[in-house]
This record gives sequence, structure tokens and C-alpha cells, in this order.
Amino acid sequence: MTEPPRDRADAAGPPPRVRVTAPRPGAAGTSARPLPPSARGGPTSDIAGVYVRSLIRSQLRLAIVFAVGFAAATTLFVLAIALVPALDSSFVFGVPASWLLLGVGVYPLALTVAGLYVRAAARNEARYRSLTEAE
Amino acid sequence: MNPVIGYSAIAAVALASALIGFYGLRVSRTTSDFYVASRTVRPWWNASAIGGEYLSAASFLGIAGLILLQGSGGLWFPIGYTAGYLMLLLFVAAPLRRSGAYTIPDFTEARLESTWARRVTSTLVIVVGWFYIVPQLQGAALTVRITTGLPSWVGSVAVAVLVAVIVAAGGMRSITFVQAFQFWLKLTALAVPVVALLLILGGGEPPAQLTPAEAFPPAAGPADLDVYRTVSLMVALLLGTLGLPHVLVRFYTNPDGVAARRTTVIVLALLSVFYLFPTVFGLLGRAFAPDLAASGEADALILLLPGRLVPGIWGELLTALVIAGAFGAFLSTSSGLVVSLAGVISQDLLGGSVRGFRIAAVASSLIPLLVALSTESTGLAGSVGLVFAFTASTLCPMLILGIWWRGLTARGAIAGMLTGALLSGGAILGGPLLSAAAPALRPFLEQPAAWTVPLAVLVTVLVSRGDHRGIPRGADAFLTRLHVPERQVR
Repeated sequence: MTEPPRDRADAAGPPPRVRVTAPRPGAAGTSARPLPPSARGGPTSDIAGVYVRSLIRSQLRLAIVFAVGFAAATTLFVLAIALVPALDSSFVFGVPASWLLLGVGVYPLALTVAGLYVRAAARNEARYRSLTEAE
Repeated sequence: MNPVIGYSAIAAVALASALIGFYGLRVSRTTSDFYVASRTVRPWWNASAIGGEYLSAASFLGIAGLILLQGSGGLWFPIGYTAGYLMLLLFVAAPLRRSGAYTIPDFTEARLESTWARRVTSTLVIVVGWFYIVPQLQGAALTVRITTGLPSWVGSVAVAVLVAVIVAAGGMRSITFVQAFQFWLKLTALAVPVVALLLILGGGEPPAQLTPAEAFPPAAGPADLDVYRTVSLMVALLLGTLGLPHVLVRFYTNPDGVAARRTTVIVLALLSVFYLFPTVFGLLGRAFAPDLAASGEADALILLLPGRLVPGIWGELLTALVIAGAFGAFLSTSSGLVVSLAGVISQDLLGGSVRGFRIAAVASSLIPLLVALSTESTGLAGSVGLVFAFTASTLCPMLILGIWWRGLTARGAIAGMLTGALLSGGAILGGPLLSAAAPALRPFLEQPAAWTVPLAVLVTVLVSRGDHRGIPRGADAFLTRLHVPERQVR
């Protein structure tokens, strides 16, 4: 498509616009970002490939550990609620404590897991970067 | 209910959305502006927009209705809707952003180097999107009927037309602004009435219709849990979020993988706060409006409760606010879906031009409208839950394996997606017939995700394993691109 001429206000606007054209089917994935050096051509059996594979493995392990951890913690939490019948009969503002706990309790758990994961994933990436930049 | 309130609230939201949409039109010009907002959207804006887009009729009206109807079983829906973003963060967010593709079919084709895999993915994305729009239009029908007394079809038609116009005119750049606005509108529209109701009810007037022990019987409480149904629902909601087309397309507007992760955490926080309010509404409904459950109008609880409990002008104002929020929910989710569907359709069928995008946007609004007009709503949260089960069984295995397993092949992905589509689609559509014949199967057909997702993954892995030579030649390079962090600019 042809781009309409830009007026002066647009040209003076602060956010620099990066123009990215929509990829045609068949050329998808060839984006503006160049491939990292380790991915440009060549077999990946060399040292760069080893670093990348170990990064992927450690990121996957991290994701699975956090997912399983979240599922286990949620299960334990729900079991604890279910196994204490006193929670059904103690009312807070007219609502049983068991309902309130289930209604609000899982969200802080999910947020905690998310926050810890982001830091751990960034650590893995920093380790990868320091390995590849040290060469 | 006073219909003037309904009319004015709906008109105000429609006007505000349209105005913000057209404001965005002035800065939305190039093809990439239309598709992914030129990738200049900041995490907070982006997270608000994701929240605005994600919180649909099912979240705004459906959850409170379900808590009223089923008790604590309804509390699992918001938990699943929120924790789905945790799974998205863990398995998808950063790699998907780094893939550099615009849509899920783009990702499939780049990863698997197969136009057939692309076509299957596109078809599934379109099916998911259309069936997700249907409950939004049914929610609009319900809201218009309850609040203005007009026939139901008016609400569905109004939302479909408005969305078609806004999306075709502005594209996603403007939609990002609209969606971010919608999130804060929806949050305000539930938070203010909840706080007002709690303050008023704290004074002891009006009295509850049921005592606490009657309103919250242990038989409907957390201890009385149907384990299979709950687990299956969680599988559907946690994994289904990964494959929702309108959610994924938002991640491409993050500047890099780290920003994509930050955005996801903010979304998680925003949703955690938001879902407190429909939950409180549902709990209040059990004590103060139990008759709505009996009359089959549970989904209208949020619309009716403020007017019932607060007399006079204040009650009417609160009602206007929740109507505005509900309409915001229908508009934002439908327009988000239409944007992503129009992106897929126009790139696959219409050459990826702005004009093609506009045509596709109109088509993607009108086809779900026809479905919505010809079917009956059967509980908003439930029907959206089924869409999640379908997505979790089809797009999610392909995405996760494509991101993390280099052995995935086009044949494996296609086989897995078709298996998941046939099994979960069959369970959803044929479930009512089959469970009449064999009642023991009923829970497995009504909540199919717990068995359809593992089977879809199994088929994908087995077929890929048997297709060793089908591993794409660029698989290693592509996985590298997904996982290697962007060069840092300090």
C-alpha cells in the first residue's frame, strides 16, 4: 500500500515510528529483528548451539517447576480448606471463612509465583549472556 | 427498571468507545499500525489493554451469576481465568514475542515451515474467535432486554455493528487505547457499586433474604468439591488462555521478550484485583437476591442488585454504572477478537492489505451475530468455559510443543490439532445427546479438557516422533530466536 504523506505535526511528534510491514504468507517470521549470531546459518553442534540448548533446557525446567509448584500449592490450599469443617461454620461478615479463603486466597499465590519466575528467568538469560559475551 | 438509565448508559459507552477509536484513527496509518500498533505500546498500557480485552461478558456478568447459581463452584472460574496468565507467562510470553510473527498462524508457519499447518491453525483460530464472540453478543442481548425492555436481538445487533465500525475504522492502534480505557471502566463499574453496597448493607438495611447458614450451605461450599469437574475446568481455563487469539496478538505489541513478561505480571495483578468484585457481587446475591437463581436470570444479578438494594436516585446511578461496565465488556472483548480474526483472515485470504483487514473485520462481526441470533444463551461463564476447553485441546499443545520441543513436525501438529478439535468439539456439540444415552459419561462430556488435552498432546508427540525427517530444517535457528534474549540497550 502507499503511505499517505505525513503532515508536519506527525513528523515532529516525539515517538519514532518503526515501520514493520506485514509478512506475506511464506515469508512469515522474517521480522525486523536480526537473528542472534549463534543462529545465523551453520550447524548448531558448535559451542554456540550448546549454550542455546542449555538455555532452552534451563528455561523449560524453570517453567515446569513453577507450574507444578503452583498446582501443588493450590491443591494443598484447597485440601486444607476442605479438611477443616470449622471454616464452614465460622462466619466473617456473614460469609463462611472457607468461601472467603477460596475466593481470595489463590490470587496472591499466583502473583508470588509469577514474580519469582520473572526474576529466575531473567537470571537464566543473564547467565547465557555472560557466557556468550565472554567469548 | 427505569429504561432511561439503560439507554443513557449504553449510549454513553458506545459514544466514548467510538470517539477514542476515531481519535486513534488519526495516528493509525501504516499496515503495521493496523496490525500490531507498531510495537510501541508500553507495558502498563498494554497490560490494561489485555485486561480490558480479556474481561468479557463471562467475567463481568457470568461469574457472579455462577456463584449465585452453583455456590463455591463458581469461585473456580475467576481463579482459572487469572491463573491462565501464569501459564502464559511461564510457557509462552517471552518466546512468542521474540518469534517476530504477527498472528498464531504466522507463528505456526514460521516454526513448522508448512502452509498446511498454517491453514489448519487459521481455521481453528477463526472457529475459536467466532464462538467466543457469540456469548458476548448474547450477554449484550440479556443486558438490553433487562435494562431497557427492548427485544433481545437489539443488543446483539448494536454491539456487532459498533464493533465492526470501530475496528474497520481504527485498527489495533486505536483499539489499544479503547481497550485500556475499557479495563478501567469495567473495574470502576464493579468496584464503586460493591463498595457502596457494602457500606449501605453494613448499616443493616435492607435485611438479607436468607440467613448466612441458608445462603452458604456447606453442600455448596468448597469442601463439597466435584474433583473431576474442577480439575478438568482448571485444565481448560489454565491452558485455554494460551491459545486465545485476541490475547496472543497483544503480546506482539511489546517491545521485547522481557517487556512481554513484565506485561503479563501486570495483567495477573490487574485481574486479581478485578475478580474480587464479581466474587463479592455473587456472594451478596446468594444472601440478598436468591430468587434470581430460581427464575433463571442469574446472569443478570450484577445488573439488578444495585437497584434492588439501594433505593432512589443513588440506586439508579449505580445501575447506570454497571450497565456501562457490562456494555464495555461486550464491546472490548468482541472488538479485540474481531481485530485478531480480521488480521488472520485478511493475511490468509485477502493479501494482508488495510482494505482486506476492513472487509474481514466486518465479516468477523456479522457471522457470530447470525449464530447469536439463532441460538439461546445457556449461562455466559459456562459457554465461554467450553471455548477455553476447545482452545486448550487444539492451539495450546501446538504452541507449547512448538516453543519448547525441536522434534515437533508439521504432520504431528496437524494430527494433534485435528484430534483435539474432533474430541473436544464432539464432546461439546454431541455431549447433550450422548449423555442422555449414557448418563455416566456426562461429566466427561461437559468438561472434556482433562482427557482431550492429554490425548491431543500424545497424538502430536507420537506422530512427530514417527516423522523424523519432517523436522523443519530451520527448527534450531527458530528455537534460538525464541529463547535467546534480545541484545540489551543500556
